[in-house]
Amino acid sequence: MPNGNELAIRTEHVTRDFGPVRALDSLSLQIPKGIVFGFLGPNGAGKTTAIRVLLGLIDPTGGRAEVLGLDTRREGPAIRTRCGALLEHPGLYERLTAYDNLDFYGRAWRVPRRVRQERIRELLSRFSLWERRDDPVGRWSRGMKQKLAVARAVLHRPDLVFLDEPTSGLDPVATAGLREDLAALAAQEGVTVFLTTHNLNEAERLCAQVGVIRGGKLLAVGSPESLRARRESGRVDIVARGITEPLVTQLGASAGVQSLVATGDGLSISLADGASVAPIVAWLVHHDVAIEEVRKARATLEDAFLDLMGIETADGDQPGGTR
Amino acid sequence: MIHDIWTVVWKEWKEFRDQLLSLRRGGLSAMILALILGVVAPVQLGAEWVESKLIIGYWPFLAATMVSSLIADSVAGERERHTLETLLASRLSDSAILIGKIIAAVLYGVGFAVVNLLLGLVAVNVAHSDDGLILFGTQRFIVTVVLTILASLLMAGIGVFISLRATTVKQAQQAFGIAIIVLTMGPLLLFNALSQETHKALVERLSGVGEARIEAYVVATLVVLSAIVIGGALARFKRGKLVLD
Repeated sequence: MPNGNELAIRTEHVTRDFGPVRALDSLSLQIPKGIVFGFLGPNGAGKTTAIRVLLGLIDPTGGRAEVLGLDTRREGPAIRTRCGALLEHPGLYERLTAYDNLDFYGRAWRVPRRVRQERIRELLSRFSLWERRDDPVGRWSRGMKQKLAVARAVLHRPDLVFLDEPTSGLDPVATAGLREDLAALAAQEGVTVFLTTHNLNEAERLCAQVGVIRGGKLLAVGSPESLRARRESGRVDIVARGITEPLVTQLGASAGVQSLVATGDGLSISLADGASVAPIVAWLVHHDVAIEEVRKARATLEDAFLDLMGIETADGDQPGGTR
Repeated sequence: MIHDIWTVVWKEWKEFRDQLLSLRRGGLSAMILALILGVVAPVQLGAEWVESKLIIGYWPFLAATMVSSLIADSVAGERERHTLETLLASRLSDSAILIGKIIAAVLYGVGFAVVNLLLGLVAVNVAHSDDGLILFGTQRFIVTVVLTILASLLMAGIGVFISLRATTVKQAQQAFGIAIIVLTMGPLLLFNALSQETHKALVERLSGVGEARIEAYVVATLVVLSAIVIGGALARFKRGKLVLD
């Protein structure tokens, strides 16, 4: 467990209510410095509220949050000085040029003139926007605006950057491009990134750790691998010929099988707790099924995410307990 | 603090500049206004253009009108165009943002008045070159400039105060329009509601006070009103509330 100095963000039972609506419900997080942290959840899960609390823009109703060792209630201005943010909207001044947009925020963060000029050139070049620097931003595509907004968020070399759904609303090509840029940026700048998204593919590619939130409650937190592993354990895919409907029915009723699905070329089986695949394979061979391949099912983060969403609905688990 | 205020002024001016350079977005109106007020009026009026007592109220009115044309946009426009939250998430303080916006608007209004005043002085002296050099008296000029700045400041303060809570620019402009009507028509209606005797007594009293003292009263009133309105706006500028509005 990292100590306080190694943490970029630490929240302890943070709650935020808006009237009768609880947007954040006892959120406890510890995010180490220098990583890309993905905050995953459906729309309205509380992701944006969490960012607002962490930036000291709104106070939590209960609990305590620290960002870079600073208390969000008392030290909001100091937190904002050391952080960058791309919030729900790009927040660009559409009448101003791309250069002036960056120049304004560079001035706001008191980046010295010469350093600012070099930094703007560096970032605009990295995002392939330098040639369009004198265009009013209002004429740009959504993807270009998002890139510029990311550049603005890191312009002053912050210690921590909040990116609220940076690829939201982009087409797949623009999404892939921005994702690559974000990965390169995080690696080169060595900055801690707090990324909210409901794009699980994006989180899987970019994040060292992810947290899953729903209805303001943290359902799970860990590396994408560890979340995938939750889903993967006990699932096998069997590629085989000669599987008949009566065999599927019999197998489905057997003790070692929790559930199974007949796929085009075999079976996808969810094993019961403690069950092994070997007896199942033996049973199939005994019934003249030609086994071609048996493999552990490879779950994606999306599978794990959907599972987590389902856990709460089906079993009524207390999500905080899954951490 | 000064640096941060100046940063906001710089950004606001960049946006105004675009508005002024674009004929469709108000540049043409400003040019027509400058032509009428800065050339046609002084040429027609001649020396009276600088000597008339009305001139003391004319420049503050012009500057305040120019301020009113854009101040409603200051915060409501940022909210409508989704730039406000990003601005609030920056390291700029509440007061730097607010005061920067007010100063930018005041500079715009006063700047427009000064440009017209200089233009008018050139026009009147060229058109009436036979009458010798036509200039403002020093005291009148100073009083006019001070009143122009204060009237702009008051207008900017009222505009920002209203703009802080308006959801859209249109809503801010409507509320601002109503506030201006109340502020300008209110005293007149109040005056009309007084009895004939009170009118007479008031006019006699004012006549006895003297021009300089009346000007001082007006300046003091504008200073107090501006301080109240800007203080109110600063108190109303709550980051957490603005983010959620």
